[in-house]
This record gives sequence, C-alpha cells and structure tokens, in this order.
Amino acid sequence: MAPLLEVKNFHYYYGNIHVVKDVNLYVNEGEMVTLIGANGAGKTTTLRTISGLTDAAGVRGEITFAGHRIDKMPGNKVAGLGLAQVLEGRHVFSKLTVQENLMVGAYLRKDTAKIKDDLKNIYQQFPRLLERKDQLAGTLSGGEQQMLAIGRALIGRPKMILLDEPSLGLAPIIVREIFESIKEINKQGTTILFVEQNAKVALATAHRGYVFAVGEVVMQDECYKLAENQEVKKAYLGEQ
Amino acid sequence: MTMFMQVFVSGLVIGCVYGLIALGYSLIYKASGMMSFVQGDLLTVGAFLGYTFYGLWKIPVAISFVMVFILMVLLGFGIERGIINRLVKKKTLPIYIVLATIAVSYILQNGAMYIWGSNMLTFPRLFSANSIKIFGVGVQPEALFCIVVSLIAMVILHIFMKYTKYGTAMRAASMDPMAARSCGINVSVSTGLTWGIAAAMASLAGMLIGPVYGVFTTLGATIGRKGFSSAVMGGYGNMYGAIVGGIILGLMETFTSGYISSAYKDLFAYIILLLFLFVKPTGIFNERAIME
Ligand SMILES: Nc1ncnc2c1ncn2[C@@H]1O[C@H](COP(=O)(O)OP(=O)(O)OP(=O)(O)O)[C@@H](O)[C@H]1O
Ligand SMILES: [Mg+2]
Repeated sequence: MAPLLEVKNFHYYYGNIHVVKDVNLYVNEGEMVTLIGANGAGKTTTLRTISGLTDAAGVRGEITFAGHRIDKMPGNKVAGLGLAQVLEGRHVFSKLTVQENLMVGAYLRKDTAKIKDDLKNIYQQFPRLLERKDQLAGTLSGGEQQMLAIGRALIGRPKMILLDEPSLGLAPIIVREIFESIKEINKQGTTILFVEQNAKVALATAHRGYVFAVGEVVMQDECYKLAENQEVKKAYLGEQ
Repeated sequence: MTMFMQVFVSGLVIGCVYGLIALGYSLIYKASGMMSFVQGDLLTVGAFLGYTFYGLWKIPVAISFVMVFILMVLLGFGIERGIINRLVKKKTLPIYIVLATIAVSYILQNGAMYIWGSNMLTFPRLFSANSIKIFGVGVQPEALFCIVVSLIAMVILHIFMKYTKYGTAMRAASMDPMAARSCGINVSVSTGLTWGIAAAMASLAGMLIGPVYGVFTTLGATIGRKGFSSAVMGGYGNMYGAIVGGIILGLMETFTSGYISSAYKDLFAYIILLLFLFVKPTGIFNERAIME
C-alpha cells in the first residue's frame, strides 16, 4: 500500500535562497515519525509546505497525501483532505476563548451534532482546558496553549497530524504529559509526523526518524537504531 | 430642555453614523492591519445608490436598502481582492497600500460626480410625518430611524462576529491568518468579506444620513475623517470602541455647536483626537497602540 504521506525530491526556495534540498520522506498510515535536526535545518519549512502554508512559488518536487497531489495546494484545501498541523510556537487565536479556538478547529466539519461529543472528549483528555474554556487563549500558560493547539487540530478529526516542536519552551513534566497525549492520539489511529529539538524524547516516542542537517536528510532509520548510532549520539543526544 | 433634547438627538444621529464608519475602519484594521481611506466615499456611493433605487426608480425602501447593502459588499470585496490584496502579494509596503486607498477614494468621489453630477440631491423622505414627539420634543422621524437602524445593525454585526461560526472564523483569520488557513478557513475570502462588510456598513450610514443631510459627492469625506477619529478614541481596531467613540464624538460636536458655536465644532473634535493620541492612545477600550 502507498504511504499516506509522501514527499519526493522536495526543494524549497525563499526567493533565491535554497533552504531545503532534495528531501525524500514518507509516512505510512498509523505510523508515528519524527524529524530531528539542528536549528535552521528546514524542518519547519518542510512541515509548513506539506500543509500548504508556505508560498507555493518556492516549492519544487512532489508531495502526495492520501492519493492527492498537494505540493501547490492552498492550506485550507489541504486541511480539508484531513491533514492538520500543530504549528511551531502554538499559534492559538489569542483573543478567542479556549472553546472558540476549538470550534475554529472544527470549522470544516459538517456533523455539528458530533462536534459536541468530540469537544467533551478533548476536555476529558485535557481537563485543564475545560477549567479554562471561557478564558482567552492568549492568557493561558505555554503548556496549556500547546494542549489547546493539539486539541484544535484533533477536533477536525484529521487522518494525520503534523506537530512542529510541541515541547518548545515547556517544563520537562509538561513535555512528558504532551508526549503521552501524542502517543495516545497515535494509538487511536491518527498518523503522526512531528518535529522535535529534544532528540531524546523524539527517538523514545516515534517509530521511525529522519535526521535533518542544513536542508537535507542525512540519516533515516527506526528510532531505536538512530538512538544507538554514534553520530546521532554525539550530535543530538549530547553523549560522547 | 427642548434645545437639549434636539441637540442630543442630532448628536446621536451623527454619532451613530460615525460609529458605523468607525466600525469599518476597525474591521479592516483587524483583518488587514491597515487603514483604508475609502470608508467615507463608500458612504457617499451608498447614499447615491440609495437615492437612485429608492428616489429615482421608486423601489420600496426596504428592498432598496438590501440591494445597496449587497452591491456594497461586492464593491468592498472587489476593492480588497482586486487592489489591496494584489499589492500585499507584491510585498508592497503598507504605507503605499494606504496611498492606494486614497487613490480609490478620489476615484469613487469623482466617479460619483461623473454619474450623479455635482449638485446636492434630495434623498426623498422615508416617512410621511414631518416630526414625531418624544419627551415633548419634535424630532424628524428619519433621525430616529437613523439611530434605531444603526444600533440594530451594530447589534446584528456583533452577534454575527461573536456567536456565529463564520464570524468567529473571520476573527480567527484576522488574528492569525496562517493558523486559520491550517484550520481550513479560506483567509482570502474572509479578508475580502471583511472589507465587504465594512463597505456595507458605510453605505448603510450613507442611506441613513442621506434623508437628513442631502446627498452630494463630498458627503462622506468629512464623515470619513470623523469616523476615523472615533475609531481612535474608542481604541483603534476595537468594534465596541468604534461605536462608543462615534457616539461620543457626535454628541461632543453637536453640543459644541449648540451651546458654544458651530464654527468651532471641528476644532474641538480634532483637539480631542490629538489629546487621545498623547494621553490615551489605546482609546477607551484599551487597544494596543504603541509599538513593542
Ligand atoms: N520567510 C523566510 N524568508 C527567508 N528565509 C527563511 C524564511 N523562513 C525561514 N527561512 C530560512 O530557512 C531556513 C530553514 O528554516 P526553518 O524554520 O525551516 O528551520 P527549522 O529546521 O524549523 O529550524 P528551527 O529548529 O530553528 O525551528 C533557515 O535558514 C531560515 O533562516
Ligand atoms: Mg522550526
């Protein structure tokens, strides 16, 4: 069976600056895959292009999702195919309430009646959001905003969720909590691709991983193998 | 007492009109992060269209209003899609885009002169009664109509933006376009529609003020500037601030002309604007006004 998401010979240019160079990757249905790598390696650019959120003029190569070519598709259409993204830096709608944020996440759904049930499930999964459902999202703590961003992606019932640095700026205990939720979401059948600076957590969570360096994929393997690789250990896990 | 009531009512009339215009400034600022000088001239065009449908073609007033409303949504949408968005896409500096709105403003103003001439036209009366009494004071029914319809329009807009799915999506799109797109919102349509609603609000103001002030090509020019001041006073970008700012400015103006001198009403209005900029740039509703 063809992978759910496939990126082939992907390049990205910001004007003349060539920031992603011939990236190839795939994610099978039900899988959880991670992208790790240094700052500025092009991870965010890759995720945003998959979601149709970068300027299409800079995109070269082929991206397919669930049988559709999406490399030049506008972001709102990509979302309609069942591909959601939890953006780097969370990007909650700061002056909407928690509940309004979640409802915007359900914008494309037509089954209004069932949205209520899903809302309940999300509050069950993140009780702290329920306590704050009428609070403006901009006033939430970083961890709560991250939970909200995940909830907002989840409520659209996507086939696949991309997450860009879900641990960014969060305390270790919250990071653990967030990754437990991500694992749970994957267990329930949603395919996941996430970018993570914290390579240790990433490799302990995902099934497979890609290592990015200055715009290219330099390594790819099962996570447990990457975790044992000498170069990965030295460069990303801080071991000698 | 009689004079007080008359001044008060005419203050509310013009204040509501400023409020409707200011609402448009605020919506546009939130959606596109810029100021559009077209607002005032959209009021003029709305008044002329209303005059044409209702006054010349004798289409019933309610239908005329709806027709103008729809046409103006399209015009506002068209200006955003056809001009503003194209410049934004070319990465034009915001200040030049604001200049483009000034160009559009003059094109509309002169275009209106080309179509409807440069004489003041009389917007036919909406009601047969010359005046109705409230608290013992005779008031032109069109004036009351202006106040009531403006307030209803504001409440409907509020309900739409705050409690409907599409209104919430529009707010989301203006807060964070990328995140909105990732939720499936067509941000281009949403932004265009915001300009469309701003235009429709302005045209509504034009049709409401037309029977009171008459219709002429520069009708919206001054009102547009005052609407802008109202928006600043209320807190630029804040919908509620726009309405409150508009009504306060309207009352201030008519009370100045009524009790001091009509020659200086603009002087006071703009001094107050400057005072706000220096003392409380965030306006009554505390919108962000200082660069971080
Ligand atoms: N809008 C832009 N215009 C020009 N260059 C950009 C733009 N956005 C990103 N870049 C450049 O593209 C490269 C890749 O950036 P990207 O954000 O994709 O990296 P990243 O791997 O996500 O980094 P980080 O780990 O810091 O989030 C960087 O060199 C960055 O400076
Ligand atoms: Mg990044």
